[in-house]
Amino acid sequence: MLLSRVADNLYWGARYLERAEDTARLVRSYTELVIDLPTSALSTWEPLLAVAGSSDAFQQQHADAPVGELPIVRHLVADQHHPGSITSSVAFARENLRTTREIIPREAWQTVNDLSLYVGSNAASGVERRSRARFLGHLIGECQQLDGVLTTVMNRDDAYELWRLGQSIERADMTTRVVGVRAAALLAAEQQVGADGSMTDIHDDVQWMGLLRSVSALQMYQRATRGPIDGRAAVRFLLLDPMFPRSVASCATRIREALGRLPRSKRTLPVVDELERVLQASAAVGEDGASLDRAMEDVQVALAAVNDVVHEAFVRSSV
Amino acid sequence: MAHVRAQADLWDELLAPDGTPRPAARELIDQLAALEHSELQERQTLAELNILTMGITFTVYSDGRGIDRAWPFDIIPRVIAASEWRRVEAGLTQRLRAVNMFIDDLYHEQRIVADGVFPADLLEHSKNFRPECVGASPVHGVWAHISGSDLVRDADGTMYVLEDNLRVPSGVSYVLENRAISKRVFADLFAKQSILPVDSYTDELNRMLVSIAPDGISNPTIAVLTPGIFNSAYFEHSFLAQRLGAVLVEGADLVVADDDCVYMRTISGLERVHVIYRRIDDAFLDPEVFRPDSVLGVPGLMRSWKAGKVAIANAPGAGVADDKVVYAWVPDIIRYYLGEEPLIANVPTYRCHYPDERQYVIDHIDELVVKPANESGGYGLLIGDRATRSELDAHIALIEADPRNWVAQPILSLSTVPTLCDGEIEPRHVDLRPFILSGATSYVTAGGLTRVALRKGSLVVNSSQGGGSKDTWIVEDE
Repeated sequence: MLLSRVADNLYWGARYLERAEDTARLVRSYTELVIDLPTSALSTWEPLLAVAGSSDAFQQQHADAPVGELPIVRHLVADQHHPGSITSSVAFARENLRTTREIIPREAWQTVNDLSLYVGSNAASGVERRSRARFLGHLIGECQQLDGVLTTVMNRDDAYELWRLGQSIERADMTTRVVGVRAAALLAAEQQVGADGSMTDIHDDVQWMGLLRSVSALQMYQRATRGPIDGRAAVRFLLLDPMFPRSVASCATRIREALGRLPRSKRTLPVVDELERVLQASAAVGEDGASLDRAMEDVQVALAAVNDVVHEAFVRSSV
Repeated sequence: MAHVRAQADLWDELLAPDGTPRPAARELIDQLAALEHSELQERQTLAELNILTMGITFTVYSDGRGIDRAWPFDIIPRVIAASEWRRVEAGLTQRLRAVNMFIDDLYHEQRIVADGVFPADLLEHSKNFRPECVGASPVHGVWAHISGSDLVRDADGTMYVLEDNLRVPSGVSYVLENRAISKRVFADLFAKQSILPVDSYTDELNRMLVSIAPDGISNPTIAVLTPGIFNSAYFEHSFLAQRLGAVLVEGADLVVADDDCVYMRTISGLERVHVIYRRIDDAFLDPEVFRPDSVLGVPGLMRSWKAGKVAIANAPGAGVADDKVVYAWVPDIIRYYLGEEPLIANVPTYRCHYPDERQYVIDHIDELVVKPANESGGYGLLIGDRATRSELDAHIALIEADPRNWVAQPILSLSTVPTLCDGEIEPRHVDLRPFILSGATSYVTAGGLTRVALRKGSLVVNSSQGGGSKDTWIVEDE
């Protein structure tokens, strides 16, 4: 038995925490990438905003300010007025999960509470470069601990499935955006290089490594492919690899499992069929950056449809 | 080494007037004396850290915003000998038995009024008497299922009941959490002596709630009804639901269907609820019957309750026995229904309703606390020895204009317990709220919530006004 209201809170609590963790991975890997590259090759932090889906919000708040590393990282990590920042995501997660304390294991709540206290008093240290990795690493660690608690001590009931559902949808969303923004841009740049025959070194292998790292996929990609990094293979890995748990296909599989175990699956599963169809179609778009970008938008639309059906089936239907 | 002392003219719970430990507190005092200040402070810090990470909070309001604050806790417990506690327990059980018979009588024949023991005009003016409840018959004739009576001890060592909370008393979760923390802080002391456990409370609460289920259902679905996360006691609502294995619901989660049964909205559709442990006031329970603007309640809930389709604890209307006037009659109520003398005393209360008691109040007003009967939150309260002559005269005029609305009590000196204040151990005033469960049978917590006024000299123990809490140890002494 699970109240609709609580189901909604669990689902969003999971989404917000996943968002915080994913944003942390993204910022951490991008920082490493920038440090790796010669200054000429990558002078901009704006792609980070684009991946996080925060470009518009940033521009509204920083219309006249210079677009540099610190304002962008602050916006993504520590800005309380930006609803997509790590600080806000953790605060929203805690507010949602406060009303689920009698549902989730006590240790899980304590972890969320610890995390929220930690972020509340240390978020500023996540902005400066010298302390950034430590802050983000700690945050990712706490999120992992929470995941571990839920995996090892929580009943496999409806509440658990809703948690996994929220987490998987959010994770798929982030992987899709990484592919849609950065992979598409890299493919486009490579085409450019090929077309005008210039020899500008865009350090594409380093860039692809950074991209894989932003969803913690580099090591697993290398193990799975055992060869030099190839952009197209990396995209396929992130979208379709059934073994890598952060690939969009793996997320879709977990969304299917969760919805299959929850009530009203006849109503909800067709949207997962659609998600998987769109995902398979996106793999066929080939080598062109612009069409990859468009294909990822289609996947995002399909993910939004899953979100809508979750709300409709579990929250609205009992009103 | 930590130096523990009491204040000469007050009763200290741990120390006798000559400064030696009271017998039940000997192990504790020895332990405190053996600790360096820094060690004691370390243990306090450890406790506070636990509170923070366990997320034990209460909510205070400031600038219209609710802020989640860590629960203020002092590690030095209050100790009561089990032999004394058994008498208190018997007294509280007796008190609640009589009070429940009184409430049931008021909503039926009103024999106590007919027999001239309780004045009819007091009932007519009671704000908490709910005409909508007349004729209702909750299971076992019990209305106040969960109550918390505040106990205080005066300078001569006498324990009094200061007030009875029969509506939605809060604080029991902190009793359990305080114990969890003090077991970590003083683990060795728990091994050395027999301290009565408090953990069985939620089991007893569960048993009681099952015992009042409609139609004798043996495995009822129980819900804890909360006003929501912005309520100051939300932590407790969540905690209790968790320990009860009950569902924590808000009004909007519930619906009364055409069959008069109560259902909750779940991800699989509507599911029946049999017992509601409500933590919202009568006035907000059902907008169809009480306040129409209430968004916290459930339309139709009273209809369902009166039809016997759902049990509500505490029963709507139970608050009639929770006001300062009725309090003054509780000793008479005990004598009337049980034919027994009260085992724990009320604070002597002068009822201005009666001419001789009124005259006493007027003659001795500078030695008394004067309280309006139907106000709460200290409004209209006068402390005689702190008032000017003109303030006293103004209150005498108020009493003479509406005597029924006034009661008065002697000014008590609350007992103290040594408390860690800025690294020093100093005596601070305390009260005690035990919780009493009444259903098919009754149960009293082993001890209760000791609240402490952390500010020097202060008698205000509320957590929202600088009060803290302590664990309460009932120590076996025989």
